[in-house]
Amino acid sequence: MVPALDLFLQTLLNGLLIGGVIGTFTIGFQLAFGVLHVIDFAVGGWVVLGGYLGYYMAAGLGVDGFLAIPVAFVLFGAIGYLIGPILYNVRNSRTARPELMALALTFGLFTLLRGGMLTAWGFNTHSVPTALSGESLAVGPVTVPLIRVAAAVFAIAIAGGLFLFLYRTRYGLAIRATAENRQNAALMGVNIRRLSANVYGLYAGITAMAGVLMGAIFSVNPEVGLRYTLFAFFVAVLAGLGSVGGALVAALLLGVIEAFVATYVGSSYSLLAIFATLFLVLLVSPRGILRHGL
Amino acid sequence: MSTNSKGFSRRRFLSVSAVAFAAGPLGMPFVRTARAQVATFKAGVITSLSGENILGGNLTKRGYDLWAEAINAKGGVEVAGELFKVDMFYGDDQSNPATGADAAERLIVQNEVDVLFGPYTSGSTIAVQPICQKYQVPMISGSAESPNVWKAKPEFNFGIIPAVDTTAGKSLAVLAKLSNPMAKTIAVIGVNEPFSKETGEGFRDGAKEAGLEVVAYELVPASGDLTPVISKIAALNPDIVAVGGHEEPLINVVKTSKSLNFRPKALIMHYGVTDPAFAQALAADADGTCGVSVWLPSVPYKDDVFGTAREFAEMAQKKSGHEPDYTEAACAASGLVFGDAVKRLGKKPVLTPEDRVALKDAIAETDIQTFYGPIKFEKEGNHYHDNVQPVPVLIQIQGGKTVAVGPKEAAAADLTYPLPAWK
Repeated sequence: MVPALDLFLQTLLNGLLIGGVIGTFTIGFQLAFGVLHVIDFAVGGWVVLGGYLGYYMAAGLGVDGFLAIPVAFVLFGAIGYLIGPILYNVRNSRTARPELMALALTFGLFTLLRGGMLTAWGFNTHSVPTALSGESLAVGPVTVPLIRVAAAVFAIAIAGGLFLFLYRTRYGLAIRATAENRQNAALMGVNIRRLSANVYGLYAGITAMAGVLMGAIFSVNPEVGLRYTLFAFFVAVLAGLGSVGGALVAALLLGVIEAFVATYVGSSYSLLAIFATLFLVLLVSPRGILRHGL
Repeated sequence: MSTNSKGFSRRRFLSVSAVAFAAGPLGMPFVRTARAQVATFKAGVITSLSGENILGGNLTKRGYDLWAEAINAKGGVEVAGELFKVDMFYGDDQSNPATGADAAERLIVQNEVDVLFGPYTSGSTIAVQPICQKYQVPMISGSAESPNVWKAKPEFNFGIIPAVDTTAGKSLAVLAKLSNPMAKTIAVIGVNEPFSKETGEGFRDGAKEAGLEVVAYELVPASGDLTPVISKIAALNPDIVAVGGHEEPLINVVKTSKSLNFRPKALIMHYGVTDPAFAQALAADADGTCGVSVWLPSVPYKDDVFGTAREFAEMAQKKSGHEPDYTEAACAASGLVFGDAVKRLGKKPVLTPEDRVALKDAIAETDIQTFYGPIKFEKEGNHYHDNVQPVPVLIQIQGGKTVAVGPKEAAAADLTYPLPAWK
């Protein structure tokens, strides 16, 4: 049954690649949670903003969508850097339940971004053209979509880069110390406020870069943000909140489950399978699959 | 003296009067309304003027407004030899069916409209129907396409566009007939949401009647990745792939198919292909995609208010800057149905509650020719009060433009079949 084996291999590849794609915008989300202790509902908003930047750069300047990736990092990283202290203040305010207030703030930010984009850019769906869009490579019986490979490589590179940064630099040590115990880190001389701003900026920049890739693989309109927020949240819970390495593993796992269920059981059951997996993991290991979560 | 009587003092009376006098020459609307004593018909438009369906909502509003402008320019709606102008009132459903029902109630109770023009989405239309029934106010829907709207047998609602379960199947039969060598197999993808799922079912059921073998019927979640389903379909290698969905999943189907280097001999979709944004988002990759339209500016119909379909299209283009699609045309035609029914009824404004019930009966008897095509509502069955008369036109994107390719009498170009492999 060679065709059946072909489909199996194609499905496995599809799952791993979509997992890599989902991983791209989940990594930053985990980092932000680890340091700021905030579940950032605005994650989907940053993804969509990145997508729009890619679209407008390609449409307006006629450049390849990939060129928008570094621009997205700088631009939205800077905006995130400015928003970071506000979020930090809310999260660490003396009002009752600051964690819920911070959640409400990010939800409000998400709604503002979505509404603003709808008003400014309308509801039309756009696509980010890149050199790799629609290109594929035939490897034996399997078709490899190159743009998805690029996204998966991007996710691995970002995860690897963050890993090196967190474990091989002094600033990374400060971030880890803050994530572990904020008061102790502050006593050791870490400027928590500035570090939070930097981390939120880093997160917004990474997520917007992922957004350019999302716009190239799928398409972009102001309404798709919610979907990314939900996926980031599922993956984060499965990975264990705050676990950066776990995010990539969890994203790959969810991707493979979705692909196999959609191919062999039926597409309408794929979300059911994802929820069932999430439920089971939470029952067996509430700190996520790698048990590294908070 | 009580506080209340003190509240309306001589000073306040004078200041209110001064504002009212000052507002008159400025053309303030509330003063104008108070002054206008000429009887007019009141029509309420309930549609999505904010929220995610704002684009489609404004499209429907434009269609309804085009009729109001055209008929008022001719002096108004004719009843027993007299002409009565039409006043339009608007209610925003905020892209939410429940809000739509509230807005419709407000239009009926506060604005006392004689007739409602229906929402952009089928979901809102279904939510507004019980309100129409409760207050016995007829509604003419120029946009709703879900068969579920008509399965509920709404007594006071009438639809101008044929339900998708009829148009999807009919257009597939046209495509199969035009294909050379003749297509034999089809795979159907439907996005799992009301309108899209019904379109998918329409394609699936229509395929059987068109003599096509359905090798796959897949319902996909609106937010899901399409790679697995396209890979599965690619392995089955059907001649035609048919998709029921809105614009975004349609764009993703084309992008995903190309990334997997899979191109069926024909790709047919329903709504969205006629929207210029579709071809714009996909650029050259949109070429070859087929769609369904129940109206095009090239159809050979005409009426007394708008003239020919082409003349209507020019009028709409002048107003909005782009060519109208079939929803905009159907909304404009909704007004023609009202004008014809009220003329036959012979009742002048203001309509009494009994008159409105009689108006509903008069609308049910509609049998007219318009620039949009023939309009006559079903009196029984699953398409109760829906106008299933128009024959869908099969369109294809060729060179970035939408052209009619079938049936033969409506075709402006030949169908490109089979589609060439991706470059």
